[in-house]
Amino acid sequence: MSFLTPLYLLGALGLAIPIILHLLHDRPKNKQAFGSLMFLDKTKPPVDRKRRPTHLLLLLLRCLALLLLAFVFARPFVTVDDPAAAARRDRQWITVLLDRSASMQRGDLWAQAKAKTQTAIGQLGPGDRFSLIAYDNSTDSLAEVKSWLGSASETEVNAQLERLAKPGFGGSNLGQALVFVGEAMQETESEPDEQPFARREIIVISDLQKGSHLGDVQGYEWPTGIWVSLKQIGEDDQGNAGIEQVFSRVPWATAEAAPSFRISNSANGIGDELEFLAHTTAGETLSQKVHVPPGRSRVVELPGEWAGKSVERLAIRGDTAEFDNQFHFAQNRQQAVRIVYIGEDKPNDAEGSLFYLASAFQQSNTLDFQVEAISGKSTDALPEADLFVIGDAVDNPLAQALGQTIESGATALMVVQSPGQAANLGQWLGADGVVIRDIASSDYALLQSLKLDDPVLAVFRDARFSDFTNLHFWKHRELQNLPDEGIDVLARFDSGPPAWLAARPGDGRLLVMTSGWTPADSQLALSTKFIPLLYSILQPVLEQKTQSRQFIVGNRIDVARFGNGQAAAGITVIPSGDGMEAVSVDTFFTPPTPGLYTAKGAGWSETFAVNLPAAESRTEPIVMEQFQKLGLPMSAPTATPAVAGAPKKAEALRREYWQWALAAMLLFVTLETVLAAKGSRATEPVMT
Amino acid sequence: MEIRSLSLRARAVVEGFMSGLHRSPRTGFSTEFTEYRQYSPGDDVRFLDWKVMARTDREFIKKFEDETNLRCTFMVDFSKSMEFGGDDAGVKKSDYGRTFAASLAWFLTQQRDAVGLATFDRDVREFIPPRYRQDQLKTILGRLETQPAGNATDLCQALEKLASLVGKRGMIVLVSDFLSPLDEMERCLSLFTAAGHDVRAVQVLHPREVDFSFEDAAIFEDMESGQNLILDPGMARESYQQKYNAHNAALDAIFSAQGIPGFRVTTAEPLERVLQRFLEERPARAVVRQRRSNARNAA
Repeated sequence: MSFLTPLYLLGALGLAIPIILHLLHDRPKNKQAFGSLMFLDKTKPPVDRKRRPTHLLLLLLRCLALLLLAFVFARPFVTVDDPAAAARRDRQWITVLLDRSASMQRGDLWAQAKAKTQTAIGQLGPGDRFSLIAYDNSTDSLAEVKSWLGSASETEVNAQLERLAKPGFGGSNLGQALVFVGEAMQETESEPDEQPFARREIIVISDLQKGSHLGDVQGYEWPTGIWVSLKQIGEDDQGNAGIEQVFSRVPWATAEAAPSFRISNSANGIGDELEFLAHTTAGETLSQKVHVPPGRSRVVELPGEWAGKSVERLAIRGDTAEFDNQFHFAQNRQQAVRIVYIGEDKPNDAEGSLFYLASAFQQSNTLDFQVEAISGKSTDALPEADLFVIGDAVDNPLAQALGQTIESGATALMVVQSPGQAANLGQWLGADGVVIRDIASSDYALLQSLKLDDPVLAVFRDARFSDFTNLHFWKHRELQNLPDEGIDVLARFDSGPPAWLAARPGDGRLLVMTSGWTPADSQLALSTKFIPLLYSILQPVLEQKTQSRQFIVGNRIDVARFGNGQAAAGITVIPSGDGMEAVSVDTFFTPPTPGLYTAKGAGWSETFAVNLPAAESRTEPIVMEQFQKLGLPMSAPTATPAVAGAPKKAEALRREYWQWALAAMLLFVTLETVLAAKGSRATEPVMT
Repeated sequence: MEIRSLSLRARAVVEGFMSGLHRSPRTGFSTEFTEYRQYSPGDDVRFLDWKVMARTDREFIKKFEDETNLRCTFMVDFSKSMEFGGDDAGVKKSDYGRTFAASLAWFLTQQRDAVGLATFDRDVREFIPPRYRQDQLKTILGRLETQPAGNATDLCQALEKLASLVGKRGMIVLVSDFLSPLDEMERCLSLFTAAGHDVRAVQVLHPREVDFSFEDAAIFEDMESGQNLILDPGMARESYQQKYNAHNAALDAIFSAQGIPGFRVTTAEPLERVLQRFLEERPARAVVRQRRSNARNAA
């Protein structure tokens, strides 16, 4: 019960006045000094018989009448829910986007998030639509209630919420989740027989960390009529430090580079002294201090003495949040790249092609280039190789094997240096009558019409490297009767004939140069273009050989690639750690948790590491202005359920009872009058 | 009690009591013979009664009553509770008690006895050691005439102090209303009786304290603590009297245990009669003690 004018209730205090006066009168006024009160006990205050109330009923009636008078003036009312109004209520559709990314593992954020979800559920009224969607890198619908049924629906949603016991290890792609939900809410219309939604709201319950990816919302035209309300938790972030590996852009081009790691400390971090730890497979723990001031990051190379100790896990220590302090590390093994030169050159003949070829490739800690030379006249079986370089005519058994190898996927570079190679060329290209003709020219030739879009020449696409005018060709050849199709001309000589050609016989690649790189042919071997060109030709092989074994949670990993695509016998992925079960996969594997995994196939086994997304370490809250800049129609971030529930109040009926109180008061006054009249007729005076 | 001066009051009371002798509780060697005792080896041969020995051929020792003067110390309660009375409620307990002490002091001085005074409330206020001097009575009366300004009574604490102040054995007359807790009373009184003092207690009460004869309800104020209690006397009387009687019974038991003669007087009683009663008690008491002493010696 409430009162419109509650101050009038103070009038009821008037009741106390006669009672207080009565009590005051009863108190004796005379004082009697006495020697000692040691024999006296406190007795009931003596009552003056003359002042004793005689007509208690009258007193009661008068008091009640006064009380009711005060009650009437205070205008009492009771609010009751109007069921008819509840049915007329506007429907709303609330979607809760619950962040389950790795950063939510901090402290009690997850419990807070669940509590906020419960609060959001409390806003719902009968008939509302409710969706609960958890997101990290991906979005998963946990619960969907098309028409809210009160406690029954709440139980159902709570059961789904409880199933999500704790957050995952994924990154946080809030932008993607918002777009997904926004589109879903826009596209879904209410059923014809249903009341349309008056309000559509997305409630985001998240730590809104800086590492959240919001790119998807940028440039997205947000649908009208869908509000976004942000319920941020963990605003009191106490800073965090993270670790990630720094990858070189061209791993094969860097020689002897030790793996390096970026240790970052957030701007609100507490300390600047962190400990960088490495755990080896032998159970040894190595550590070193790293000084990273708050708001800065520092790249630390794995110390040389650590690299030799088969480190399997790195860690940092010294920040408040523990969830991202481990970094699982799978060291790359040195991979052999076999290059077979088919020709008659001597390895140390500076006039030959082999000499420059062997010198072009540099050993690194990831790649071991092995250049082998065989004669074109050899009758031995063709060795396996990642690149075949053909510098001379190849005799038939070998040429045939080479042709088949190329067709089955190998890469070959043919340097046309003599007309005798025409047969080989015709054989591999599947063309008859190919003729190689030496161009007799007193002047040097230059390259033109370079097809820089082609993957082989893409490395020179940058204007800084695309100048080929310093590269002079003294001798070159012309190929005649080439097939019209299936051959790309990558570059031509300024006189017209093709200089570099690319063909794709079968699954393989065959590159043809009509002028060699020896000093007798051109300046190519001595130019700055030579080594990039060779690496560019080898790039698909190198990429495969130097592929990273570092992944992040949620990545779809092509595990078959580790075994060169040999997935026929099935691949088993075994996570490290106790109690982890091996998983059988065909080609792809999506790791659910960070750790070291071992992929095992038929005759091969490869270890790879899975870590948290580095962005999850950036736990500082996003500034709210950023969301407004993205054009999201924001509800106030601190919107409370009471605000949302305000319309419900309006639907309640206010029932006032002051008329009844007035009637009761009049009745009491009448009764009192009758009783008093009776009393006055009696001889005894009425004392109240 | 119309006479304002305490000395005059005392003198008026004492008149007529000039005769009568009280004896010291100590047996000594004075001129007054008390009894014979058979000689036993070790007794001083000086006290042998040669005449009896010649007549009966037996050795007897003569014993004499010591006739030294009495040393009497009045201990008068000056606490606030003694101020009850006055105006229409009769004589104040303090006036009554002081007059009693003054009268007795006058009387004793007349007999050339040494008289001293101690006044107390919570603590000992004044102490005049017993002395026989020309101006001793004047000093005592002067002190008794000062108005009591004490607080609460702590009889026991005061008695403990006095026990250390009073030196030689003598008579102690304790004048108080004894309206205080009796928990420690016996122990404190025993300090005097054990030291051989002849202790007498005079409990001065107002008639209203005896019968609680108030009529109207009033706020009763404790004169010592200032505590207030709203009371209907009619309702409280029965309980009061029960407790009062129990207190007095307990007090009597303590006196009896310590061999202390207790005089309970109300301010309504004529002082002469009380004084007479008091003085009559004295020789009898002395005789009892004398007998006890003789019995010990005979053994």
